[in-house]
Amino acid sequence: MQGVLQQVFSGLASGGIFASLALALVLIYNAMGLVNFAQGEMAMFATFIAVTLMDRGLNYWIAFPVTLVIAFAGGVAIQRIVIRPVERAPVLTLVIVTLGLTALINGLAGFIWGYLPRAFPSPFPSRTISVLGAYVSYQDLGVIAVCGVVLLVIYLLLQRTTVGLTMRAAAHNPEASRLMGVRVSWMLALGWGLASAVGAVSGIMVAPILFLEPNMMQTVIIYAFAAAVLGGIESPVGAVVGGLIVGVTVNLAGAYVPYVGGDLELAVALAIIVAVLVLKPNGLFGRPSVRRV
Amino acid sequence: MLQRIRAAPPRYWLVVIAVLFFAGFPTVISSFQAAQWANALILVIAIMGLNILVGYSGQLSLGHGAFMALGAYTSAILAHRYKMDYLLTVPIAGLLTGLVGFLFGVPALRLSALYLALATFALAVVTPSLIKRPVALTNGVNGIILLPPDPPQFAKDAFSAVTGTVMTSEQWTYYVTFAWALLLFWLAWNLVRHRSGRAMRALRDGEVAAAASGVNIAGYKMLAFGISALYAGIAGSLFGMSSGFVSPDSFPVGLSIQLLVGAVIGGLASIPGPLAGGIFAYFLPIESNQWVPAQTWIPTQIASTVEKAGPAVTYGAILILIMIFAPNGIVGLVTSGYERLRRRLRGAADRETGQAPPDPQTV
Amino acid sequence: MALLELEEVRAGYGPTSVLHGISLSVQEGQVVSLLGANGAGKTTTLRTITGGVRWSGNIRFAGRSLNRMHTEDVVRCGIAHVPEGRGILTDLSVDENLKLGSYLRHDGQAVRKDYERVFEYFPVLRERRRLSASTLSGGEQQMLAIARALLMKPKLMLLDEPSLGLAPMVVRAIFEIIRTINQADGVAVLLVEQNARIALEMSSQAYVLEVGRLAVKGSSAELKGNESVRRSYLGY
Repeated sequence: MQGVLQQVFSGLASGGIFASLALALVLIYNAMGLVNFAQGEMAMFATFIAVTLMDRGLNYWIAFPVTLVIAFAGGVAIQRIVIRPVERAPVLTLVIVTLGLTALINGLAGFIWGYLPRAFPSPFPSRTISVLGAYVSYQDLGVIAVCGVVLLVIYLLLQRTTVGLTMRAAAHNPEASRLMGVRVSWMLALGWGLASAVGAVSGIMVAPILFLEPNMMQTVIIYAFAAAVLGGIESPVGAVVGGLIVGVTVNLAGAYVPYVGGDLELAVALAIIVAVLVLKPNGLFGRPSVRRV
Repeated sequence: MLQRIRAAPPRYWLVVIAVLFFAGFPTVISSFQAAQWANALILVIAIMGLNILVGYSGQLSLGHGAFMALGAYTSAILAHRYKMDYLLTVPIAGLLTGLVGFLFGVPALRLSALYLALATFALAVVTPSLIKRPVALTNGVNGIILLPPDPPQFAKDAFSAVTGTVMTSEQWTYYVTFAWALLLFWLAWNLVRHRSGRAMRALRDGEVAAAASGVNIAGYKMLAFGISALYAGIAGSLFGMSSGFVSPDSFPVGLSIQLLVGAVIGGLASIPGPLAGGIFAYFLPIESNQWVPAQTWIPTQIASTVEKAGPAVTYGAILILIMIFAPNGIVGLVTSGYERLRRRLRGAADRETGQAPPDPQTV
Repeated sequence: MALLELEEVRAGYGPTSVLHGISLSVQEGQVVSLLGANGAGKTTTLRTITGGVRWSGNIRFAGRSLNRMHTEDVVRCGIAHVPEGRGILTDLSVDENLKLGSYLRHDGQAVRKDYERVFEYFPVLRERRRLSASTLSGGEQQMLAIARALLMKPKLMLLDEPSLGLAPMVVRAIFEIIRTINQADGVAVLLVEQNARIALEMSSQAYVLEVGRLAVKGSSAELKGNESVRRSYLGY
């Protein structure tokens, strides 16, 4: 039983990481009906920036927010330079553009920082603490806390601020929002910036576990897809719940289902994606979509 | 007969020229280069399949690398374990993959284009792990080593009659691949020109409207998926033959991206597109890998990084630039350029017939 | 000087042109009706003013040229456009919709007063503040749209068929409030309507469009009195 509890806690930690990245996907999906395949690579790139800052002697807790600001700016820049020219193109075109971004950012990271995996510091002690009789590492608790704070901040920003209101308005009905004076195109850029920053959190949190290299996020993005799809791809709450469920499920499956461990944990994510899409395409929190001619 | 030949539109002549070119090519290049071109044609075949799916039915698959893997492993297992003639395994691999693709089309039916892209991308990422696990069947991470194919007597005779040299297994692989490419090209051509092609295009341009005009959406979507997978399966099988080795790492996500790059560069929904796109997508990393180390001004440590990162950066940049500036790919550029040229040649006469806006009247 | 002035404006969607040179003007505090049959270009005229359509010619508002301006900037000059279909954000609550109307304003005190007034005009909106806008009936959505436009504190309101799809009782109530808004706040109104009778009652000046051209213009009283105009263009 304690073993299970331990797995649940570490599942929640990875779940928080998946949730952050899934939330980033949801932000962009809501803004423009697009799944950003490059979200993971953007997070990876930001994590490299973080490690570079720390190499220059910056303290972890300074490098962290600085990285988020840089990631935000990067997200805005990507929207302005790469996405805006194809903003009105069919979704397939947009998907291909984000795949192009995926390859481009991955290659650039390899070009700048090389392909050798490197260690990434964690600010949390590796000691464990006893919670309900299970040994839980400070590392896991720290990750859960950081992801929780970030998700809360995003929630408050979207629901309680004017900027959040105009962002949501621009996403739901760009035409009507323009008539209210909302600068829709900048709202999209803001959405990309926010998504980029939230995604960067997942990168920085996962790097101490996976080691940092250009392909680090390739598996994480799949879990994030699973989380977003499970939660209903347009629902921020769904992304968080989905992330946690995927994290715990994958951890438990890896530990207790005989055939699954190791590599095949990723297949669990694939199975979740396919099952949800086929059985309940709107996910847990999504609304049914209407087909238009 | 002569009359018909003379009346044939120029594109038929282009086809004839292309066929002669690709048939004669290996007699003047090295065996190693023939192997490279065989690989390029393999990519072309897979891209033709992807193109049928994306270009003609509007479904985006990012997981065609997985179908290639299925085809390759089917052939490899049949040839290695059951000692089957490799050439016989190629159509079997194609049909099996096609069947799987057809069935894959069932859940795909319920998905929007975006979700399908997402699911197939996930599949592409998971593929290597999926292959590794059933060790007894796939030999796990070690992969399966295949014997190089031995050219049959008639091919050897014909080849030495033309070139005076002995045909190598690479050259034989090239011709096998070329024959398959021709067959599949012909199939795609026919498919697109006939009823099913029109139906699929109607599907791409608007599902509800297509259904309203009596197109069996489910059937055609599955068909498109099946045919597309068949192409990928054959390409995968031929890939095993040409590389003499299949392993989980032969089919990374990058392969699926490479296929997409090829399809996009050539131009979606175009029949000659995959040829241009496939050749480009195949030779780009190879050429850049040869070019970079040859530049003495690039320090060696950096050169190795550039070699590794270069293709990804270029692929990415190309995908983005093409989508922004030339969504119809190379073929689209060529045809629109041709149209523009023709219009210019026809002169100003046409311009004058253009409708002038009616005079405004004020009250 | 007129508040809004259109001169020889041409506009269209892609290759099809819809407006073939339209000139009209709205004075400060005036109500002007824009009438005409379906497809005459009434909605396009409004969309042209707020930059929703590509156009050529001259449009001036409060002395400024609106040439090459984006919708957001035109709106920020003081034009509130209640579009065809009302432009309600049905994913947001009633309150959030109203907030979108006032979010650009910095005169907090006045905004609060305007909210009070809006709720006086449309008490039903106060009751439903927290509900999703999608739960409102057609008439209530129209009220929300007008309320939101009012909160933008515009100099000019463009109203696109406020009577569309509403019961006669509701139509009368809404037009009553439009009149109040015009008289109490001095907001000029450019009113597009199918229902010519009620529009001419409200307005002082009227224009009739016919397939993208101005067919008739004159004071509303004149148009009402001219039977041939009424018969051939206004259909009553």
